[in-house]
Amino acid sequence: MTATPLGLDKLWKESNMERKNLILSGILLFAPLVFFGQEPPPESKTEKIAWHGTWKGGLAEAQRTGKPIMLVSAVPQCHSVPGVW
Amino acid sequence: MDRSFLADKDVISASRKFVCIRLATYENADENEVLKGFFARGGNLENTVFTLLTPDGKTKLVTAGRSPAWAFGGVSGRGINAQPEESIKKMGQTMEAIALAYPGKGKAAKGSPPLPYLADLRLALNITAADRQPLVVVFSKSAEERKKMEQELSKVAWSDQFIGDAQYVFASDALEFKSVKKFKTKSGFIVIQPGTFGLTGEVIDVIDAQLSADKLIEPLAKALDKHKPSTLTYDQHRRMGAQAGAHWKSATPNTDGLSRRGGGRRPRR
Repeated sequence: MTATPLGLDKLWKESNMERKNLILSGILLFAPLVFFGQEPPPESKTEKIAWHGTWKGGLAEAQRTGKPIMLVSAVPQCHSVPGVW
Repeated sequence: MDRSFLADKDVISASRKFVCIRLATYENADENEVLKGFFARGGNLENTVFTLLTPDGKTKLVTAGRSPAWAFGGVSGRGINAQPEESIKKMGQTMEAIALAYPGKGKAAKGSPPLPYLADLRLALNITAADRQPLVVVFSKSAEERKKMEQELSKVAWSDQFIGDAQYVFASDALEFKSVKKFKTKSGFIVIQPGTFGLTGEVIDVIDAQLSADKLIEPLAKALDKHKPSTLTYDQHRRMGAQAGAHWKSATPNTDGLSRRGGGRRPRR
């Protein structure tokens, strides 16, 4: 069964508005650095998704926090050679 | 440039508002059944599954399929790392929208986040090799000591400094380390460099089991920095692994392709 959250379009629009506000905030934050000829701070580390590695553990955490779940599954092998997705 | 869905910064940012669960297909019979409940053409579990779910894990919020491309458009099979920008953008926006609909309990949530454990050390070596990440093993023969270690490490693992930087598993028996070099039977946070093909590992560092979260930060950061990820391409990895005789046998039979021929359908929209 696939359910679409009610008011998804509205939420998308709200999400876009938040994004625009974030971009504006970013411009305001870094503009003084540009004007004064300074380099912006170095880019932070490469962000990665933090995965729960078991269904049981992940589901318990989703129920505890009330957060939705992103579920992915894959085989860590290719033609029986391990160490690769 | 990697233009896969799960490497996109907006998707990663949105993922912080989700509980992200990644399973290893065919490695656990119970989990196989869970996955089949969401996506299984002809009743057969396929190599890969993707979907977004309600917090109770019962209801799909997007179309389930072999990859995010089934829900958001894009490319399946070869070319999965060069997805159309509009599809990636749609994924990030959809996740943000879902996060607004399911904002979670926030500070009202009881307890603290657990360490995001992998199932066991053997599988963890394989998965961290595939992710090209270091592995941290919470090792103690004492369940009580392990619990204390988990509590301290979880505070660090979910911090902005460390989130997503390593993977975790626990072990209670030294025998589990039989394929790990330089292991010494002593309780601690064992930081491991997985072998290229995920069948072996080597201890990078051992951090004192008694350290509190604030004292763990520095030694853990130093240990994780010692990790050297493989630089092989996908094809090089597969070819060299086959030449080296690296072989993985999954815990349950692989049923991919039993109900179709020629790979997954192309879901571009």
